[in-house]
Amino acid sequence: MADEVESSLLIVIIDTNPSQRIFRDGSQTLTQILESVIAFSNSHLMMKCNNKLAIIACHSQCSKYLYPSVNAGDEEMADDGDFRNMQQVDGQYEMFTLVEKTVRKAIHKLISSSDHDEVESLQGNGSSCSGGDSLLAGSLAMALCYVHRLNKENPSSRKMNSRILVITASGDSASQYMNFMNVFFTAQKCNVVMDVCSLDQDHGLLQQGCDITGGLYLKIPQMQGLLQYLLWVFLPEPPIRKKLVLPPPVKVDYRAACFCHRELIDIGYVCSICLSVFCKFSPICTTCHTVFKTAAPLPLRAKKKRIKLT
Amino acid sequence: MMRHMYVIVDFSDAMADQDLKPTRYLCTMKLLEGFIEEYFDQNPISQMGIIITRNKRAEKICDLAGNPRKHIKLIQQLVQQAWSGGGEPSLQNALELAHSSLKLLPPHASREVLILLGSLTTCDPGDITATIELLRKVGIRCSVIGLAAEVHICKLLARVTGGDFGVALDDIHFRELLLQHVLPPPSATPVPSSNSSPAPTAEASLVKMGFPQHHVSGLPATDGVTKQPPQQGALTMCMCHLDAKEEDGGALVPRTTSGGYFCPQCCSKYCELPVECKACGLALVSAPHLARSYHHLFPVVPFTELPVTQESGIVSCHSCLYRFTQHDKMCYRCETCYQVFCLDCDLFIHDTMHVCPGCASNRQTYGLAGSGSSELAHESSTGALTGLGISKLGSSIRSTH
Repeated sequence: MADEVESSLLIVIIDTNPSQRIFRDGSQTLTQILESVIAFSNSHLMMKCNNKLAIIACHSQCSKYLYPSVNAGDEEMADDGDFRNMQQVDGQYEMFTLVEKTVRKAIHKLISSSDHDEVESLQGNGSSCSGGDSLLAGSLAMALCYVHRLNKENPSSRKMNSRILVITASGDSASQYMNFMNVFFTAQKCNVVMDVCSLDQDHGLLQQGCDITGGLYLKIPQMQGLLQYLLWVFLPEPPIRKKLVLPPPVKVDYRAACFCHRELIDIGYVCSICLSVFCKFSPICTTCHTVFKTAAPLPLRAKKKRIKLT
Repeated sequence: MMRHMYVIVDFSDAMADQDLKPTRYLCTMKLLEGFIEEYFDQNPISQMGIIITRNKRAEKICDLAGNPRKHIKLIQQLVQQAWSGGGEPSLQNALELAHSSLKLLPPHASREVLILLGSLTTCDPGDITATIELLRKVGIRCSVIGLAAEVHICKLLARVTGGDFGVALDDIHFRELLLQHVLPPPSATPVPSSNSSPAPTAEASLVKMGFPQHHVSGLPATDGVTKQPPQQGALTMCMCHLDAKEEDGGALVPRTTSGGYFCPQCCSKYCELPVECKACGLALVSAPHLARSYHHLFPVVPFTELPVTQESGIVSCHSCLYRFTQHDKMCYRCETCYQVFCLDCDLFIHDTMHVCPGCASNRQTYGLAGSGSSELAHESSTGALTGLGISKLGSSIRSTH
């Protein structure tokens, strides 16, 4: 009787936002990252024959799937990724060639189209809108929808564990707090593990996400060793991880920051309507404008006068 | 958001009936277990207690508490033991018991009672309409799920106090009715009343809460505003397991561990959050617990339905790459980012994720936290939260490592 082999779904989210510091410092960084990711993805596919893969690029204006290919009617590939029509490199497994060619084609298209948009917008209103934080929460949401779809299509006899690996060099982005938290709680509910490989700076929200979903957070000290870190730390599936000694979890600070001063506080006052946090008692909530009842002062009791005994 | 709910379960003879398989009682217990898990998942800072009614009396088997594990363990124990109910239920006694406990709560908390009634009769010591009026005055919202048929007094109770009344047709419908109560009720419902004064709505107030940090031996303790917790590396007892017994009912064995959450006011240790400090009464939570309820305030705008035709050029779903076949009649479009999604993604986004992937990836719309809902927030019944408030929420409630 054949054993049930649990297949594994890996979704890699690559942050290709051009405004990140590592892209400005070196011109070969994106190529290096992509090559490492392709080698890592192929290693993942090599682990088991029914492992699945998806790669998403988080760009400045949008998030797009690099693999599987979205388009129908490509000259080289048919719409379901059929690699029979593809030119093969001798000696390479067709699946790997498919991944490599699809990713290269898609990233080329993504960057050239976004350059085109940026040039247009520069000519249009004179200001570029490509700078700013990477919108990783949107890519994570897309990845979760993909996991949800594959879980539905998977016959219930076969088990599948899913994980998302985020490779990013951007820093903390507080304006996406709500989107991130929604995504983390959804991943926790769907049993999706989220790993983060941080290239340049620490990302506080992603650390919380790794803690909530039970994944790994790793900040890489050297960019040259990216592929090595990916293969050593992030390649094993979640069920196997408990048998390995992996980097220890980072201590995450879950304290809330008050609205008035944006400082982390230990004790705060929470509005019962909108759940905003304040460090001092105030009669009106500044977010939802609810008026709070302040405690009335205690009624003064008339003091008994001492009668002098003469 | 901070809900306090009592679940009143009928333990009378009518629950041994077998129209819900295997018996009404076992089916109810199983569904209640699932309900408790969902309830604490969606409302992490809420509390729940359980009351049972049998033999014309009512007993509180579980006090209002914020930790679901105790409730679930208790229910599992009850299921494994032999059937101990019987007799007639007493609705008035159960309601009086719930009332005596709920009236002590501060006014900002929402007070609710959910009754699961399988019997068609109730045996009460006094006038139940007086009890119903009392509940209405205090502002306790009672909902009833009947298992047999519609009973007039239950419908009256639900209507007067502003709750819901439903009768379960089968176990799947029963589960649906139960899960409707997982979502928080709107805060200011106008309660229709004929002659007496309108019931008081839940007042808003600032609740003092603590945000403890997790200290483990070997890592430095934080300094500063609060008192110092004990030396790292020391084994200390936690307050939550002071009364814990061993599994087989043996001697009291308090748990000693080297790490835990320390209350910022009195430094008592707890194993996990959220919890109410036994020594000083401070509610201890962590920021994600508050964040879990934010999606009720900023829901995703419903998508518009579009027919899938050849000319429209819609090939695949934006978020999951599902290709539309000729069997798919409709697709769904978000009116803020104009991306098209399939039915599964639409349900997933609105029910579970509460984030539109198209809007969250778009630089113009990601900050609106619910895609274009800044106008919606103005009109929402939970308060006048403005778009400014949303960005403040995002930029302020965050943690750095």
